[in-house]
Amino acid sequence: MEGAQPVPDGLVLTRYQGAPGLTTLDGYRKVGGYRGLARALEMGPEAIVAEVKASGLRGRGGAAFPTGTKWGFLPQGVFPRYLAVNADESEPGCFKDRVLIEEYPHQLLEGVLITAFALQASHAFIYIRGEYRKQRELLEAVVREAYRAKLVGKRILGSDFGCEVVVHGGAGAYICGEETALLDSLEGRRGQPRLKPPFPAVKGLYGQPTVVNNVETLSNLPYIVTEGGAAYAALGTEASPGTRLFCVSGHVERPGTFEVPMGRTTFRDLLELAGGVWRGRKFKAMQPGGGSMQVLGPQHLDVPLDFKAVADAGSSLGAGALVVMDETTCMVEVSRRLVDFYRHESCGKCVPCREGTYFESQLMHRLEEGSASAEELASLADICAGMDGRCFCPLGDTATWFVMSAYRMFKDEFDAHVGAGHCPVRAGVGAAA
Amino acid sequence: MGEASAHPDLVRVTVDDREVEVAPGTLVWDACERAGVFVPVYCAHKKLEPVAVCRMCLVEVEGMPKLQPACATRVADGMKVRTLTEQVRKFRDSNLEFLLLNHPLDCPVCDRGGECDLQDFTQRFGPGRSRQSIQQKVHFDKAIPLSDKIVLDQERCILCWRCVRYYEEVTGEREIVLQQRGVHTVVDTFERQPLRSQFQGNLPEICPVGALTHAKYRFRARPWDLRRTASICSHCSYGCNLFIDARDDQIARYASSDNEDVEDSWLCDRGRYSFPEYNGRERVTAPEAVVTGGRQVVSHREAVARAAGQLLRIISDRGPEAVAVVGSDLMTNEEAFVLQWLAREVIGTPHLDHRLRPTPHLDPADFELSIAGIEECDLILVLGEEPERLAPVLTLRLHKAATKRGRRVERLQPPYAWTEVAQPQRVGVISSELDRDAGAAIRDQLRGAGHTAQLLTIMERVNSRGCQDMGLLPGWLPGYLAAPQAGMGLPEILQSSATGKLKALLIVNPSAELEAAPEFEAALRGVEAAVVVTPHPGAASRGASVLIPGRTIVEKAGTVTNAEGRVQRVRAAIEPSLTVPTDLRTLGELAEALGTSLGVSPMATPVYEKLAAAVPAYRGAQAGMRARWGSGG
Repeated sequence: MEGAQPVPDGLVLTRYQGAPGLTTLDGYRKVGGYRGLARALEMGPEAIVAEVKASGLRGRGGAAFPTGTKWGFLPQGVFPRYLAVNADESEPGCFKDRVLIEEYPHQLLEGVLITAFALQASHAFIYIRGEYRKQRELLEAVVREAYRAKLVGKRILGSDFGCEVVVHGGAGAYICGEETALLDSLEGRRGQPRLKPPFPAVKGLYGQPTVVNNVETLSNLPYIVTEGGAAYAALGTEASPGTRLFCVSGHVERPGTFEVPMGRTTFRDLLELAGGVWRGRKFKAMQPGGGSMQVLGPQHLDVPLDFKAVADAGSSLGAGALVVMDETTCMVEVSRRLVDFYRHESCGKCVPCREGTYFESQLMHRLEEGSASAEELASLADICAGMDGRCFCPLGDTATWFVMSAYRMFKDEFDAHVGAGHCPVRAGVGAAA
Repeated sequence: MGEASAHPDLVRVTVDDREVEVAPGTLVWDACERAGVFVPVYCAHKKLEPVAVCRMCLVEVEGMPKLQPACATRVADGMKVRTLTEQVRKFRDSNLEFLLLNHPLDCPVCDRGGECDLQDFTQRFGPGRSRQSIQQKVHFDKAIPLSDKIVLDQERCILCWRCVRYYEEVTGEREIVLQQRGVHTVVDTFERQPLRSQFQGNLPEICPVGALTHAKYRFRARPWDLRRTASICSHCSYGCNLFIDARDDQIARYASSDNEDVEDSWLCDRGRYSFPEYNGRERVTAPEAVVTGGRQVVSHREAVARAAGQLLRIISDRGPEAVAVVGSDLMTNEEAFVLQWLAREVIGTPHLDHRLRPTPHLDPADFELSIAGIEECDLILVLGEEPERLAPVLTLRLHKAATKRGRRVERLQPPYAWTEVAQPQRVGVISSELDRDAGAAIRDQLRGAGHTAQLLTIMERVNSRGCQDMGLLPGWLPGYLAAPQAGMGLPEILQSSATGKLKALLIVNPSAELEAAPEFEAALRGVEAAVVVTPHPGAASRGASVLIPGRTIVEKAGTVTNAEGRVQRVRAAIEPSLTVPTDLRTLGELAEALGTSLGVSPMATPVYEKLAAAVPAYRGAQAGMRARWGSGG
């Protein structure tokens, strides 16, 4: 296989791949687990923060905000502080946190504890999406085991540091992946984003300073603490340090998660790791960052997995989910399905998202059926302009990104649906077969 | 304005090229208002925290890439706000189109039609067309009775959350919640349990559309059918400011005003929905007098002449002390003042009173604490449940003090005492008039311990305070000066009338309690003459030797004084359907017929001047100020 094959010593998150019994404390300890925590307790909080800053680690939940900088926003001397772990993985096409929880739960917990120590947080709450029931049960068992081993609770590993860890299941709402909605849901309120400022770092969970980090972000911590921030950064490029776990799905032969170095890998490399486009078909389009991000075409396959390069191409790596579409895919249908997703997941808090996603979805259904007029299609841009950048939180904004980018890139295909009475793409595929 | 030199603690903001100076931390929306620029908004409400959910107020702020919600963005020095750009205009168009997508087209049968923000903003800023077919609307439940007072229409709701936030922030009761999500989101009660709050009537007022409506106002009127009068709620001594909206001679509804010093724009349901008592209740329609052989209808002039004749005969036969005068705390200050003057100066009797219950020893120090001042107290002690039962809106002020100002509110149970010793602090003590002595004792004890303590005594009726200030009492002249001769109180007056010791009664605007008291009928039977001025038939009208129709409080002008001593205007909201002179005029004519002129025209304003000359604390207070009782008040 060509391209950047991940070499075992270039792995961070999946470096213990294949080791037996990793979901148990014994199994994880056999591969060296919790050495990072012991090391962290010796280093002290400032040294850990320095290593994280040196690592160049950026948030893996989608916004790619520098983790060390985020931690630095906590106001001095205000306690208690909390760590909230975002395990509400619900971006369409995204399943990396699930793998990290199922395969390496102790690695996550170790990362959580290192971070809680670095932040001097008294409690860590792992908020896991409602549909991840088995994963929640597994995490709960792991936390219980860690409590018994004095890795969690008071006087961790005999130190002065104590931290309680709570696993909390969501109730099945995409919006609860937004950090302030997550906090509201965790508090037992209706899961809806909060007005910012104040930001969670200042006034978060129960009104206290709070850091919200993604599962993948924190799973990197044991490595960064034991191997050093510089070693981590060197795995990627200067602009995009470290490695990342990408989810590749859609029309590929071997969908799955692949840990690859950032910046030095291209979309084409990822596609090949996943066995290429399935059934010998041709590549048509891809979504590089989950359901929220703009569509990219064949001309973008050689773009490296680098934040700036992907932004220059007009999209974003988002939550690290690559969805591949082959030549038989109707871009109107894909757009309609994504718009339906956002309509279904809109929390209803603000007008442009609540009503706009509904308006968009009605229009896309009619377009897909071939019953929309040219004027109706022309109003799509208006509707999206009334939403993008106008909504309370990014959900409503991103509900327009894919459909608008697809409309620009595949305008002929959208236009062909107008008044067609059916889907011309599917009709064409049927004729060819 | 004009001076270029700025207040050092203000910041300069430009709104559409108009410069204003505002305090740091001011919301952009308020800065726009200061600049005279209207920015449409649905979710924001002056009394509620910003949520920025309706997005209607998005404006351009120079230097910010996205449009910003004016309702939730704080000003910064030098900020430039633009509300009329193409970007803003286009977005308002879009947002109104979004809002109307699933809004029903039932304006013609909606109570809110004509005073609806959705209608108004659509007219002013909206697209004027729809691009979605009516078949695609999402439908919800309509006309859901949430209680016997409130009806909910979920289709009309634009999900501004004001009702939800009102319950969270203002009453703390959380009776209305958001349910479902996305386009299916609705406001509702949990499991459709009926609303129990005693402050439900505020919901339709904060609702910007016709989603929450008053059951009592449904299909009653259009706003342009109504004549609006600013007045005072007549239901308790708190003195809530309100608007009386009348259609012809019927009151259609009470609407909140916004006096931050008193009701802070919230009314209680007991007061708000009390107006039907003024609609269609049986009235005394014509003057009547006992002429030889029985009582018959006479002219107003003759009734007054006969009343004076009967009283003069008894005064000359038995002396003035054979006459007693009875008013009630439904009278205005002007009426109370004239009535006590009539008793003392014209008739010459010390026997006068206005209520059955003996009046506790009161003085102006019993209402030093102002209603708004409650929020400034570090500690607020409420004696029992009576103050809040008498004046329900007090509960909301206490809630605000506790939640928004972080004050400590303690509700004490009898026997009332407060022994906790703490740092000297400002303490407010709130008692009902029944517990006034206990309240004063706690206040004095706290003062002795170095605290700043003030008392607020909650009275029973709309002008209980004013009637006392005006000296409509057997032992006190206007302004709490001791009367040279203490006369009989009402219970004694009734007893003496029944036994024949008193020979004549002059009764004005009798209270419901008096009308219902069995002693009252006996008293009326026992006297030779009973001159009665009353709007409603009852024991008094039945037992009258001269009966003169009176007016209800919503039919007269004057001032009333609330529990904190604030002098506020009541105005005639409706005219009686028959010609009925004002009570003040009737009393003036009666005085004239008894041989003494009032000296001023029997109208509220000149009489107020006269009473303010007698009670200096009332000087200049008639426009809503608190009476100034020396250093204490």
